[in-house]
Amino acid sequence: MSSVSEALRPLEYVPRRPSRVVRLGRLARQHPTGVFGLLVIVGFVVLGVFGPALAPYDPRELRAGPVLQGPSLAHPFGTNALGQDIFSRVIAGARISLIISFSAVFIGGSIGSFLGIVSGYFGRWLDYLIQRSGEAWAAFPSIVFYFMLITAFGQGVKTIILAIAIGALFGGSRVLRSATMVEARSGYVEAARAIGASEVRIFFRHVIPNVLPLTVVLMSTTLGSAILAESALAFLGIGVEPGTPSWGIDMSGENITVARLGYWHVVVFPGIAISLVVLGANLLGDALRDIWDPRLRH
Amino acid sequence: MRQYAMRRLAYLPLIAGLVSVITFFTLRLPWAGDPVTYMSTQNTTVEDQERLRRELGLDKPVLVQFGIWLGDVVQGDFGETFRGRQPVLDEVLRRFPATFEIMFLSLGFTTLFGVTFGVIAAVRQNTFFDYGLRVFAVFGQSVPDFFLLILLIVLPSIWWNYTHPIGGHVSIFEDPVRNLRLYVPPTLLLAVGGSALMMRVTRSAMLEVLRQDYIRTARAKGLSAYAVVVRHGLRNALIPIITLAGNYLVALFFGAVILEQVFSINGLGQFFLISAAQRDFPVMQFLVLYSALVVVGLNLIVDLTYALIDPRIKYT
Repeated sequence: MSSVSEALRPLEYVPRRPSRVVRLGRLARQHPTGVFGLLVIVGFVVLGVFGPALAPYDPRELRAGPVLQGPSLAHPFGTNALGQDIFSRVIAGARISLIISFSAVFIGGSIGSFLGIVSGYFGRWLDYLIQRSGEAWAAFPSIVFYFMLITAFGQGVKTIILAIAIGALFGGSRVLRSATMVEARSGYVEAARAIGASEVRIFFRHVIPNVLPLTVVLMSTTLGSAILAESALAFLGIGVEPGTPSWGIDMSGENITVARLGYWHVVVFPGIAISLVVLGANLLGDALRDIWDPRLRH
Repeated sequence: MRQYAMRRLAYLPLIAGLVSVITFFTLRLPWAGDPVTYMSTQNTTVEDQERLRRELGLDKPVLVQFGIWLGDVVQGDFGETFRGRQPVLDEVLRRFPATFEIMFLSLGFTTLFGVTFGVIAAVRQNTFFDYGLRVFAVFGQSVPDFFLLILLIVLPSIWWNYTHPIGGHVSIFEDPVRNLRLYVPPTLLLAVGGSALMMRVTRSAMLEVLRQDYIRTARAKGLSAYAVVVRHGLRNALIPIITLAGNYLVALFFGAVILEQVFSINGLGQFFLISAAQRDFPVMQFLVLYSALVVVGLNLIVDLTYALIDPRIKYT
């Protein structure tokens, strides 16, 4: 008996697994650009949630300062032709960009992932149908699709979210499909089937949780393009309502005319804001992809 | 190969029909916007609205409307725009050259810079040059193209007092100098994002190829660096590049819309943008049908190009 308890005694010389904090620190050192991206996105979310409260002026307030003033201490990014404080507008503009890009990526990413998983798990005609539609979808120009939805349903936040979400729908389905196929043929699924688990149970309890991290990776890699699409639609004047503090809107129309006359700050700061956030999203997405699944790298 | 192309083209009516049906009925969903309401002002009476609806053919049942539209399209008549009551096809053809030139130049610049720098980055892997290009690629994919185009208007006017021409399309056959002055700088900037992507794809494809045995053989038998890299290397890396170029050309239409908006060029992008905002149904139906044809044709060309590049690929 004593020999058994001796064998079960933990070996003293086995090094302990480093703590979570230490492991995270190591991961961060390996992916410095990913940490930068994460910080940018966290900042973006914070501004999106608390932006209007943090802004020194009301972003819609006319004559918050003298009209078309260059950057100064009172107005770090200057003022526009209506005398609105551009710094406050850039901070407040994070909100609409955050709402649209996150909801579009979440809706499109989760439905797309589900389709990919279904396609990979059930195979056969369902797989064929989903994959062929996905290919046809990807080949179709996104802007044509946006135009059509705007013609049908008019401008507005909901239309934009729908348009960007559907555009991102099939982006990840192929990757999730192949990941699911690997899982579905693995030993533990076979074991579950052997003890009589139903297909539905296997699908929801075993396969889905195992490919779910990939969904997060896919969503983070599409975030950058969703932010770009939102700002481009706003810039074209078919995005959110005019007047909303939005980076894309603040770079369009009269603001360009004004900028040509030498008031560069009117358009440059919103442009830098978009570029920085998209850069952060891309770097974060790349890092997450490398950590979770290096196979996705192209 | 001819047979294969024919078989692929046989799907064309099916795809065109499918997208047309989807578009036609989406635009007329009960909860979709009504163009007549949109075109009404304070002074529009109910009788005016009824008359307008009759004139536009929107008073008939949806299925009848679809039948009429389909009958016209089969005869080559794409209807009239709701707003100006001009034939859609004429409006499109008039604006086609400007947009075609924008897309042609952008794709040209993208391929030129993307492939060239991608090859150099692969050959000089892990050098300062390679790192520099990769950093550029990350930034190039993050900056919105409309921001770059706006900077093209704003910065030269501040620095050198030079104003980039706005609007006023001139045919390249009439006044090549003015035409190129209008189109080359913006299309170069529009190509930045695409070049960055193209560079990444070319680089990784080339790295894959350059590891192969036949490259070592080519080097060993004393071929010049150019022959090894371009004739043996690049040719075998072309397939992902061509695939990307095809996809990019489709995506480039978005870029053309933006470029036309920034520089007030009255091309197809502006036309479709305004038509979308004004709920011009016949224009949207044309656009979707036309895009489907272009996309199907383009994909076929891309697939047939594979067989030209790589004799191992055969279509039967």
